[in-house]
Amino acid sequence: MRCYIIARYVSIAAVVALTSAALAGCTGNAPSGTSGGGSVVRIGSDLPVSGGDASDGVPTANGVKLAVIDANKRHLIPGFTIVASIVDDAVNGVHNPSQGAKNIQAFASDSAVLGVVGPFNSNVAKAEIPLSNSLGIALVSPANTNPDLTKGPLAAQLRTTNPNDITYFRVCTTDDIQGPAGADYAAQVVKLKRAYVLDDNETYGKGVADQWAAQFQKDGGTVLGHDHITKGQQDFHALLTRAASLSPDVVFYGGTTSTGGGLVRKQMADAGLGNIAYFGADGVRNDQFLTDAGAAANGSYATVATVNATKIPAAQTFLKEYQAQFGVPVGSYSANGYVAAMTIIEATAAAMKDTSGALPTRAQVLDQLRSGKVHHSIIGDFSFDANGDTTNKIISIYGVRNGGWVFLSQKNYAKLSPR
Amino acid sequence: MPEVHQFFQQLINGIALGGVYALIALGYTMVYGIIELINFAHGDVYTLGSYFSLSILALIPLSKYTHGWELWLIAIAVIVLAALLCGIVGVLIERLAYRRLRNAPRLAPLITAIGVSLILENIMQIWKGTSEVSFPQFLPDHVHVVAGVGFHDRAVLVVVVSLVAMAALNMLVFRTKLGTAMRATAQDRDAAQLMGININSTIAWTFFIGAALAGVAGFISGIYYGTTFFLNGYQAGLKAFTAAVLGGIGNITGAMLGGFLIGIVEAMTSQYISDQWTTVVVFSILILILVFRPSGLLGEQVPVKV
Repeated sequence: MRCYIIARYVSIAAVVALTSAALAGCTGNAPSGTSGGGSVVRIGSDLPVSGGDASDGVPTANGVKLAVIDANKRHLIPGFTIVASIVDDAVNGVHNPSQGAKNIQAFASDSAVLGVVGPFNSNVAKAEIPLSNSLGIALVSPANTNPDLTKGPLAAQLRTTNPNDITYFRVCTTDDIQGPAGADYAAQVVKLKRAYVLDDNETYGKGVADQWAAQFQKDGGTVLGHDHITKGQQDFHALLTRAASLSPDVVFYGGTTSTGGGLVRKQMADAGLGNIAYFGADGVRNDQFLTDAGAAANGSYATVATVNATKIPAAQTFLKEYQAQFGVPVGSYSANGYVAAMTIIEATAAAMKDTSGALPTRAQVLDQLRSGKVHHSIIGDFSFDANGDTTNKIISIYGVRNGGWVFLSQKNYAKLSPR
Repeated sequence: MPEVHQFFQQLINGIALGGVYALIALGYTMVYGIIELINFAHGDVYTLGSYFSLSILALIPLSKYTHGWELWLIAIAVIVLAALLCGIVGVLIERLAYRRLRNAPRLAPLITAIGVSLILENIMQIWKGTSEVSFPQFLPDHVHVVAGVGFHDRAVLVVVVSLVAMAALNMLVFRTKLGTAMRATAQDRDAAQLMGININSTIAWTFFIGAALAGVAGFISGIYYGTTFFLNGYQAGLKAFTAAVLGGIGNITGAMLGGFLIGIVEAMTSQYISDQWTTVVVFSILILILVFRPSGLLGEQVPVKV
């Protein structure tokens, strides 16, 4: 009997220990920051900062943190302390649209939050823009590139509550420029001819793969096939064996590292495609890709829909501060995270001129963002157009050499109309 | 590449993938055979096998060993250790979560199994994080080309290890005293008990062996793919379960056959239909089997309650 009781308590204790351990893994999604009210202004940041997406989200969120530190140092919002409120929209290590939507609702219910930086991924943006539109809270994305978020009938469907109110802005350019720019580079500079196209079937991945494939054909290349991978897929051997039978000289992957970009590159070697080029877009230009693909990463290329900050004189102080603060070099979109946060901070400061020093409303902040004025930023001068898109249309191209991403070139597409 | 080479190349892909499914499917089928529980936590024990192997490998200074045979010895040691650890986890799961519910309505242990699965996933998430984890590729890996069809040592390893493990299991179940006890318990628990068989330890051994095989699968899939992820066991577990049902749940030979068939079906779907349809095809097979041949290809082996 005594043994029985002991066994009983041991098993209960084990279950309690396991459950509490499980619960501990779920924290970290609630908006963080100091206590509300008083003289605090919060800048929300909704990015994927855990799992396979962390190597995209964390460097971008660091940009947001640095913007807040800088703005406080320069007293950009007099009388108020600015606090960065960083939340995670990744669930189980992958960006998650419903988690993003929950985060926006949480931010909207906090009156000290006047604007949110984010999201990173276009499918998350699709879930968040309708909320941003109906709740009237500014959303400034550092990295969303799907064109349908701002332009055309699909974008209009995202803002049905207040069709004429633009509440979503972005400081990077779009995939109708990024995709073709990558295809041009592949066809004209790397001289590739035969492409096998893959994507992860997400808003961003499928969109950029279609754009890339269309331009690659216009540039005289052949698209041998276009297949899609599924969520959680681990084995790409069969898919790549089929691709190999068509003897491509490049595999294009539209998607993120967290949806399989690095694993595809790694397994290409197993299917006899280890020596051909791999092309991706901004979703794979991160350190996690290098980790996942291992030695197979060499010979990969990726586009990024913004300028390389190291090439801009105005960004040099930012780069030094970033290195000093975080001890690592910037990521693809660190500077964009900084700029996105700064646009919200500057809009708040500008709105305060009309409120004689009181905290402005979210609507007043939005009015400032919609004013079309020029922002002098560390990624160059730009303004938001009538759709909320940046007028700054620069694509930079990177390649993997000796296991690391190196900058290859960049091109300004501002003078050209989208193709 | 000629059409026929392409077919055989995909067959190799499918068999390697199927070897992993087959090893996992064995655990499902053994547990179902003996206590009629679909142990949904089993897929996560497989991932745990990868994580145990990783942690053991991290303790070994691999760069010191350069001879092929040394590395293969290390591999065997790691497989045995990972299998042992997974086996212990399997026994603990049975002892803590399932034993009390052995005579409860069947829904109760099923829900418990899902709960255990979530607990294991969360523990692995806390342990190694939510990113893909690289698995050291320390074994020599040459490509062999036979009649135009290429395959890696790693693929051979997967197939050989899974076949050896299956052969050992077959010996154990049909040639040893423990195996006889397991089969007797599966046929009629009460009668077996009356014959002097210790039911609790027999069932615990069944969980140990099933989980140990999942641990072996965890190691070889880590070597084969070079990466692992804390949620891998979820989908692999569902597919292995499909394999077990395809072969006839409770039937050990059936689970092996089912595992290889599912792997081959996946590879062929990817080749001749489209990769995005593989999951659809696999689970359509599950539904068709359940509707038209619920006892699977080789027939169920569960107690007939008269």
